[in-house]
Amino acid sequence: MSAVSLKKVNASIEKFNLIDISFTVSKGEILVILGDNGAGKTKLLETIAGLLPIKSGKIEIFGKDVTHLSPSKRKIGFIFQNLALFPHMNVKKNIMYGLKYSGVKDKNRLFEEIVGTFGIEKFLDRFPQTLSGGEKQKVALARTLITDPQVVLLDEPTSALSMKEKERIDMEIKSSLKKLEKPAIFVTHNESEAFLLGDRIAIMERGEITQIGKSEEIFYHPTSENVARFLGTTNVFNGTVLKNENGSITLNVNGEKIMALGNATKDDEVTIFIRPEDIVLMKKPCETSARNLFQGKVVNILKKGSLIEVEVDIGFEIVSFITKGSLEKFDINTGKEIYVEFKATAVHMVKNQKKKLNL
Amino acid sequence: MRKSDKLTYTIFFIISAIVLTFILLPLARLLFFLNPQSASVLKDRSVLMSFWNSLSLSFITAVVSLVLGVPFAFLMSKRSFGKFERFIETIVDVPLAVPHTVAGIALLFILGRRGVLGALLYNSFDFKITGTRVAIVFAMLFVSLPYTVDSAREGFKSVDPSLEKAAVVLGAPLHDIFRTIYLPLSKSSILSGFMLTWARSISEFGAVVILAYYPMTAPVKIYDAFTQYSLSTSGAIAAYLLLICMSIFLTLRFAIGEKK
Repeated sequence: MSAVSLKKVNASIEKFNLIDISFTVSKGEILVILGDNGAGKTKLLETIAGLLPIKSGKIEIFGKDVTHLSPSKRKIGFIFQNLALFPHMNVKKNIMYGLKYSGVKDKNRLFEEIVGTFGIEKFLDRFPQTLSGGEKQKVALARTLITDPQVVLLDEPTSALSMKEKERIDMEIKSSLKKLEKPAIFVTHNESEAFLLGDRIAIMERGEITQIGKSEEIFYHPTSENVARFLGTTNVFNGTVLKNENGSITLNVNGEKIMALGNATKDDEVTIFIRPEDIVLMKKPCETSARNLFQGKVVNILKKGSLIEVEVDIGFEIVSFITKGSLEKFDINTGKEIYVEFKATAVHMVKNQKKKLNL
Repeated sequence: MRKSDKLTYTIFFIISAIVLTFILLPLARLLFFLNPQSASVLKDRSVLMSFWNSLSLSFITAVVSLVLGVPFAFLMSKRSFGKFERFIETIVDVPLAVPHTVAGIALLFILGRRGVLGALLYNSFDFKITGTRVAIVFAMLFVSLPYTVDSAREGFKSVDPSLEKAAVVLGAPLHDIFRTIYLPLSKSSILSGFMLTWARSISEFGAVVILAYYPMTAPVKIYDAFTQYSLSTSGAIAAYLLLICMSIFLTLRFAIGEKK
């Protein structure tokens, strides 16, 4: 029996449609729904939670048909994009809010336990406005998990955090979900976050799930052109850590050395993500603060609306986005020699040991 | 700053000064009536009674407006009326556009002895509603309820909808969400609506005078003194009413302002 199962769910919200959504989430699994803004990810989560009505289809949670149940009876936890902490209640009252309705006995013991788990003893009397981004995350998680939901839905909860904080909080979310063995559906538009968190990833576009599978499958073997195009906007490579000097990391990617920042030790297998807009093309090499500089050959030039996608072979193929103006100014042609550079901070690195988790 | 910008600012400041003078000058002039001589009007029982009527009945009106207006405002903020929403929002505000004597006459046809409600009360309880404090509250409520409804509605609308969703998912029933999320977060809007309704009710003359000349409220008393005695008597009563209203208004305003 799967934890969550959606069967051909169709819904129509204002002018937006969710079309034939079917998938399952197994016990203890984190399914990431990856899609651009406007793909319908939030609407899908709200549909599962019962906050939005569906037209047809079936939603089951641990085998129980909840399609027509009210949200409060679905035993779902929901972490909202803005976290939705109650601004007029202190942290303690926020966390206690759902306890009253959860039917849990021994509320105080449970409260102590969850407060201990998340280490929020110190700011129980403070109000949400005074908390840091990370602290708010913890309170939101605690408020949800204390009601012992069967499934947790997370709607881009870390989108307001800085890149660095995001990774740390993501790991905390992941480990607390795994520790409590809560199945979860996590929505994001960020590929590296999806890769980091997801046991499996579902790609969502215009109200449809276009592919679902293990992270590696999705990134390296997109089954449809749509998915390929969606993911094609990101450079994804496999690499091995050669050395780590105080967080400054040298990677081997297809025989080329790439500098990155992060946490990894020698011989770690990693996957890296580089956004095409972070990659700069140059005719001649010059001294910049960027740590990664390569010489390569233009393989392909593709027009994509107002942006031009330039593929360059630097030992492996890397994609850069430039504007029409710079294409004309640069006079780039297929086959031309060119220099490619990007900062070490533009390299988002995720370790590949997905099965082993530091709990 | 550019020269022309300076000129623009100067002109705007002058206009603002004119507006402030326009408001303050007549009120300040009225305060000259607050002197030991004029204090004798306060010894007149009918004057004191009219003050008491105005303050107490307008307060009751404001409380009634909360009881009736807040749930209604909540429904409107939730868009519960579907396609009638615009229509209903307009209806609520109609009393603001109706001349108050017209409102008084309209109410008279309902509350008068031959009116629907008036006849019912007269025949069943032998209670003649016109000329009573109940009629005054009706008149005040009719013209001032929109302030509470509008203000509360805007307050409810400004509550982040994700807070309600969060409470729903956490299992809270609607009456708890209303009590623990919406009411506290709209408190200042509701209170300011309450104050506006109260203030508007104290000042109501047109509708009140048609439904109940007696028992006299302060504005009716002032008009009565103006027509029957002298300008200075009515000026003195007006000055004391102004003083009382201002002190209540300012106290509440600062009290609510502090909480924000």
